[in-house]
Amino acid sequence: MKAFKSFAFLSLCTILLVGLLSACSGGNKENTGSSNSGSAGGSTGTSSESTGSAAGSGKEIKITFFNTSAEVNTVFEELFAKYHEINPNVTVELIPTPIGGAQIEIFQSRLASGNPPTISNLDAGHILLYKDKFLDLESVRAKYEELTLPGAVEGGVLDGKFLGIPWSAQGYGLLYNTRVVEEAIGGPFDPSTIRTRDDLAALLEKVDAAGIPPVIIHGADWSLGAHYFALGFSLQSRNAEERFQFWEDLKAGKVKLADNAVFNGLMDTFDLLKKYNARKNDPLVANYELDSADFARGKAAFYFMGDWTWAVIGSLEDRDNDFGVLPIPISNNPDDYGNGQIPYSEPKLFAIDNSAATPEEQQAALEFIEWMLTSEEGQKAIVEKMGLVMPYKDVKAESSNVIAKAVAEYVSRGETIDISIINYFPADYWANNGASMQKYLVDKIDRAGLFEEIEKYWQNVD
Amino acid sequence: MKKNQALRNAGLFFLFGGPSLIAFTLVFLIPFVVGLYLTFTKWDVVNNDGSFVGFVNYVEVFRDKSFLTQLWFTIRYVFFTVIFSNVLAFLIALALTTGIKGERWIRTGYFTPNLIGGIVLGYLWQSLFSRVMPFLGQKYGWPLFETSWLTDTDKAFWALVIATSWQLAGYLMIIYIAGITGVPKDVIEAAKMDGAGNFTILRKVVLRLSIPAVVVCVFLSVSRSFLTYDLNLSLTKGGPFNSTELATYHIVQKAFLSNQYGVGQAEAIVLFVIVAAVALTQSYLLKKLEVES
Repeated sequence: MKAFKSFAFLSLCTILLVGLLSACSGGNKENTGSSNSGSAGGSTGTSSESTGSAAGSGKEIKITFFNTSAEVNTVFEELFAKYHEINPNVTVELIPTPIGGAQIEIFQSRLASGNPPTISNLDAGHILLYKDKFLDLESVRAKYEELTLPGAVEGGVLDGKFLGIPWSAQGYGLLYNTRVVEEAIGGPFDPSTIRTRDDLAALLEKVDAAGIPPVIIHGADWSLGAHYFALGFSLQSRNAEERFQFWEDLKAGKVKLADNAVFNGLMDTFDLLKKYNARKNDPLVANYELDSADFARGKAAFYFMGDWTWAVIGSLEDRDNDFGVLPIPISNNPDDYGNGQIPYSEPKLFAIDNSAATPEEQQAALEFIEWMLTSEEGQKAIVEKMGLVMPYKDVKAESSNVIAKAVAEYVSRGETIDISIINYFPADYWANNGASMQKYLVDKIDRAGLFEEIEKYWQNVD
Repeated sequence: MKKNQALRNAGLFFLFGGPSLIAFTLVFLIPFVVGLYLTFTKWDVVNNDGSFVGFVNYVEVFRDKSFLTQLWFTIRYVFFTVIFSNVLAFLIALALTTGIKGERWIRTGYFTPNLIGGIVLGYLWQSLFSRVMPFLGQKYGWPLFETSWLTDTDKAFWALVIATSWQLAGYLMIIYIAGITGVPKDVIEAAKMDGAGNFTILRKVVLRLSIPAVVVCVFLSVSRSFLTYDLNLSLTKGGPFNSTELATYHIVQKAFLSNQYGVGQAEAIVLFVIVAAVALTQSYLLKKLEVES
């Protein structure tokens, strides 16, 4: 009896153990299975199939979508559901990221664990960094050149290869609340009258005199580092090669920022904005929703931000209706590069994984992206619900984004600044330069100190 | 018969110890060893280069001035957090073992912060520090609260300490309550007979006899506050200008934002050594104070 008891005991333990182990290995299989079993299938049977439609093949396909445009997660999910209705065998699953939080970290850990997303909506710079992991989209390049506005595909060409499909374009600058500005100057406002720093200074003074807080500087590192300070690199020259040359010289320690007219001009303008900063008391609070809402409700006349902020502003109640955008003037010569132009780029691109995805998954991903960018549902979701501008021909949706419309006027006149040099910067440049800018904003360091910190950062980059 | 007994013991051991042993090996031991190995390589996700580089990463750790600054920041943070959370927890536990009305409810109340995740908690305190307090400060003219605590390095430091202590205290309180209720009544009565006052009883009897609880609590609070990450992420995000990055946060930034995986991992090992040394030393020293009743 006793022997039986202990035998029962032991077998119970064994079952428990085996159960545990198999549970573990089961989990593993599921994790890597999508790549292993899938690629085996791919090598045997799909070489002929992959030219056909993945959605039409009837086979169950699951693709993942990594999204760094976190503020529009839900709109993407609605699109995925809709696509699943049309193509029941294709499931698209969202891998969300937090707004303004650890986004690329999630992507990296998925890549490192051999489980990368099929489609990634990433900054161009990150695609460039992992360029070997992504599918070369040469086969669809001609198609997209046909579909998009001139120059749009170039934004997705990184290091000579077409790696990212452009889907939205963004512009930024000194946004203004038309009602507030017009009340302050007592008449209609023509943005083309502001072409120099002195023009801007006079305008800010008028607004201030009218008792309205003139400008909100959003104190976050990404805004100060990537959007404001990095503009100095893009404005070095109208010629792309000279811009890269300046950057190389800075890294080699051959040029000093203090001797550079563009950076000094940019910082002189920053001093001006800082003087009239509505957040002067506590500049680093950097509450994005609050800053955007205050600007939209006329609690400040200007706001250094871009058309993407419509995602916050658009749905607000009791907001103003008319907004525009001004260039950041960096000198007192109205013809200088940057005084009449605004930065405009395709910040996010759709890239397709080529490290673990099967040809079928890649095909399904391509079809899904094309549907999203060309179908009426897709375009309506991107333009109307996300409030973004699509650099595509014949867009079948009308944007409600007033700021994007103001940006589009600069684009149609060709008055844009090419900021693609930042795609080649190291991934942490904005956090580092942004931290230095934050110190400058709260007067913890002066301009010499700021330039010194930033030069030191760049000299340590290889 | 003897063999049977041995089998039975082994079975018993695996029944109760097996699952956690396996889990421990899978999620702790193996990653730790692999992680240690990775610090000697040039590994990163981009080029998958696993070539051996020796101690280069460790040299880099000690040349990373901001890591050393933030490590010192972390040590100060741990020091104050451990003191505040333990004193607070002990006092609450003491108050809640005297038999006040609604004791259970109050205990639950104090314990609740522990059930909220660090991220949520961080956002909660964030809006408190950067919205509610400045609002009140400006309204009533309290200079201390006029600006957000999170935009000044020193004040953000205390914000971190306060938020962590608040969260930890409820957890430690439970352990202290167990410790205090474990003090035999007869010892206290004997002390009373001998004419000891309340404070003397507390100091000489209750505190001395709950040393095991103190050891556990200090150990837990040291290791937990050294490894704070989520609260740091949601409360200050390392700001202003990266001056409130705790060591773990700095490591994550180093590895995943700056793409220096090897250095980041080496920094993690350095942190591990420090935490282990501090935690073991203090529990060795405190254990010496233990007495039998």
